[in-house]
Amino acid sequence: MASVFPVIFILAIVLGLMACGYLFVPKGPQQTTIRTAIMLTLASCYLMWMVTYMAQLHPLITPYRSTKGGESL
Amino acid sequence: MGDDYPTLFRSEQMSLMQFLIPTEVAHDTVAELGELGNVQFKDLNPAVNPFQRSFVGEIRRTEEMARRVRFFESQIQKEKDVVPIRSLYDSASLVTVGPSAAHNIDELDVTLAAHETRLVQMNDSYKTLSERTRELVEARHVLRETAVFFEKAETQQTDIRTSFDDSSAPLLQHDDREQQYSSTVQFDLEFVAGTIDRTRISTFERVLWRVLRGNLYMNHTDIIEPFIDPATGAETRKNVFIIFAHGDALLAKIRKVAESMGATLYPIDANADKRSDSLREVTARLEDLETVLYNTGVNRRSELVRIGEHLARWQDVVRKEKAIYETMNLFNYDVRRKTLVAEGWVPTRDLTMIHMALRHATEESGTSVVPILQELRTSKTPPTFTRTNKFTEGFQTIMDAYGIATYQEVNPGLFAIITFPFLFAVMFGDIGHGLIIFFAALYMIFQEKKWARQELDEIVGQFFYGRYIILLMGMFSVYTGLMYNDIFSKSLHIWHSGWDFLEAEPNGASYALSNGHIYPFGVDPAWHGADNGLVFTNSYKMKMSVVLGVIHMTFALCLQLPNHIKFKRPLDIYANFIPQMIFLQSIFGYLVVCILYKWSIDWSTRDTEPPSLLNMLIAMILSPGKVDSTAQLYRGQGFIQVVLLLLAAVCVPWMLCMKPYFQWKEMQKIQGQGYVGLGHRSGGPRESADEVLEIEEEGNGRVIVEEMEEEHEQHDFSEVVIHQIIHTIEFCLGCISHTASYLRLWALSLAHAQLSEVLWSMTIEKFLGVSGIFGTIALVMVVVFWFSATVFILCIMEGLSAFLHALRLHWVEANSKHYQGEGYSFTPLSFAKLDEKE
Repeated sequence: MASVFPVIFILAIVLGLMACGYLFVPKGPQQTTIRTAIMLTLASCYLMWMVTYMAQLHPLITPYRSTKGGESL
Repeated sequence: MGDDYPTLFRSEQMSLMQFLIPTEVAHDTVAELGELGNVQFKDLNPAVNPFQRSFVGEIRRTEEMARRVRFFESQIQKEKDVVPIRSLYDSASLVTVGPSAAHNIDELDVTLAAHETRLVQMNDSYKTLSERTRELVEARHVLRETAVFFEKAETQQTDIRTSFDDSSAPLLQHDDREQQYSSTVQFDLEFVAGTIDRTRISTFERVLWRVLRGNLYMNHTDIIEPFIDPATGAETRKNVFIIFAHGDALLAKIRKVAESMGATLYPIDANADKRSDSLREVTARLEDLETVLYNTGVNRRSELVRIGEHLARWQDVVRKEKAIYETMNLFNYDVRRKTLVAEGWVPTRDLTMIHMALRHATEESGTSVVPILQELRTSKTPPTFTRTNKFTEGFQTIMDAYGIATYQEVNPGLFAIITFPFLFAVMFGDIGHGLIIFFAALYMIFQEKKWARQELDEIVGQFFYGRYIILLMGMFSVYTGLMYNDIFSKSLHIWHSGWDFLEAEPNGASYALSNGHIYPFGVDPAWHGADNGLVFTNSYKMKMSVVLGVIHMTFALCLQLPNHIKFKRPLDIYANFIPQMIFLQSIFGYLVVCILYKWSIDWSTRDTEPPSLLNMLIAMILSPGKVDSTAQLYRGQGFIQVVLLLLAAVCVPWMLCMKPYFQWKEMQKIQGQGYVGLGHRSGGPRESADEVLEIEEEGNGRVIVEEMEEEHEQHDFSEVVIHQIIHTIEFCLGCISHTASYLRLWALSLAHAQLSEVLWSMTIEKFLGVSGIFGTIALVMVVVFWFSATVFILCIMEGLSAFLHALRLHWVEANSKHYQGEGYSFTPLSFAKLDEKE
């Protein structure tokens, strides 16, 4: 169940989005800026998601509570 | 990336243009170019003293006008009741170009002078009248207080009578006059009355006592109201005194001492009726003075109000005129053609705009002679101009603060638009805090138009200038908050957790079992509140910092390539870029790969223990090739690590030697050619003669000021070698220290999360369970405290801290991989920018 496949799948999606961003931004004085912004945003958000996902794929420790009750919203 | 549009990727291409401007049109042309704000003029008279330049007279006149305008401004600001200054947008305009310009400026000069004389006159008379008023008030006090003394003395008249025996003669003289008035007072004592500073009264008494050897009687009272000095606003407190003594000599001494101590003496009559007459007179004069003072004040105020209507426009005009004449002083006057010659840097893209502006200027001025524009060839480095808009301006500024980019090198500001807020957010990740700063930025952006016109406070102005940066920081912080699963130190439970907590054991401890599900987006909420939650989070964040850091540095290193390609430095690609990339990747790229690989393995199915990556890296360098098979990450690790280490080791001499060697060969080649060139020099004189002829010709773009500082490539070979050694050592050591430096991403996000949690658990959590009215009120108060602490400590203080660290990462870790930063910025003559400078 916990496999690396989603990482690669999402990578493909992100690469596709980056290519779209590169190709479909209209020409104009802001073209470079918008293109760079879109591509960098996609890349950095993907990187952070990928690292977070992979860190939890095969965890080496399990959570342990010494008091009752969790604290989640 | 089309050439038709400006990009933020590199600075704009600049051309050096020569303007030939006929003298009649000069003023208007410069005014037009100033409005456009696209030309940076060069100083063509560097050797000329500022006092000997051609337009010194006009500048002096504008300075005089500026001084008057500043005087008006200070007078208006000193008024307690605010005098409205009409803003520039609403002010009546003053035409400063065209045929009527000179007349308008002269008129303005005269108007300003007239206003100034009137204002100064009114100020002076106001001051004099105030002083007069003050004296009269003092006199009135003296009269009132001395009346008290005399009444007291009346009752003790007989006692005094018997104690004084002599000096009857002068008193007798007064007797006849006394008898005209119905006075029961037969006062035969003489006295001096006046006022003195309260602080000096005791000294005064002591001095008098010593000087007159006790032969005096002194009485004094406080004047309750303080006197306010109109000029400074300082308060002084005074006392009224009256000194009785007999004999002219003694009285003269008293008067002298009083004057030396700064007392003011008033002539008071012994007779009560005469005193009441004086009092009435003083009161009447006081009333008159008050009326005159009031009228002067009203006139002055109306004058200031009239000035306030036009002040903004005058300031604007005076500033522009001064800028225009200062610029015209930079021009060179060509005697033969009766024109002014100017040289300036212009962005090549804006040349058509400049042409149009010049044509517009000539139309406005009414002449038909158009200034001529010529392009010049030069070897000087042009200024660096990056065309920004209100969004990109902030990001460009923070990157420019490190150093202005060299002309046309890759601009790191473009990438900082996203990477800077992203790295900030990694250190700041919290959905709630991110939303707070996002909305703060949104508010500033909505108020943009209004705030841009106002004079903002220094600190608020800084935040306003960076509003788009803060907006992006907020947006990314919400994303990283989602990743860290942290909203005001609580975690969201949006998807199914991957851990199921078992029944609690008798001692309260509960363990969790993995249910195979992976939390799809962010950190599993089960870790929140777990005792070993920090162990997991620390490992995760540290590894993420290294991964992000190495990728950021690799990206920055790759930015070298476009620079080398554009400036035609293929040697740098092979001698600098490639060895640097190999060195970085073979050690730290390998580390990143290992991190990702270790995460992707299910260690429960492997027979080896998961190795510590840090120990593995250290062992790779200290004992290469030796990998314990029980602690290996993958098969063949030892061999691969040796290969990588050798690759890195090869890169060091590669970086050290290749570039100096090739540059040395090049120098040999040039020297060889140089010897040949000397023989060629015999044809020299003919060449220089041609050059001289060329200058004489019309329409030749010759740079007028050939500065002597031509970059002579005096390559000392030792300098090249030293430079390369420094560069190599810096890069290699830098790799290690910079990678470790990225761990601040972990450190700050940990600190932020802990601070947030402590704040919650120490405030709101303690009051959540308290019931009753007291509980509710206390809870509300604590929530208010919690929210203000969140905003001030967590958002503002932590925000500034994360801002600083993210900026440092960009400046040091990223820029050192590719940035030269040796340019100078483009500072055009721009009237809009004059506003900002003031």
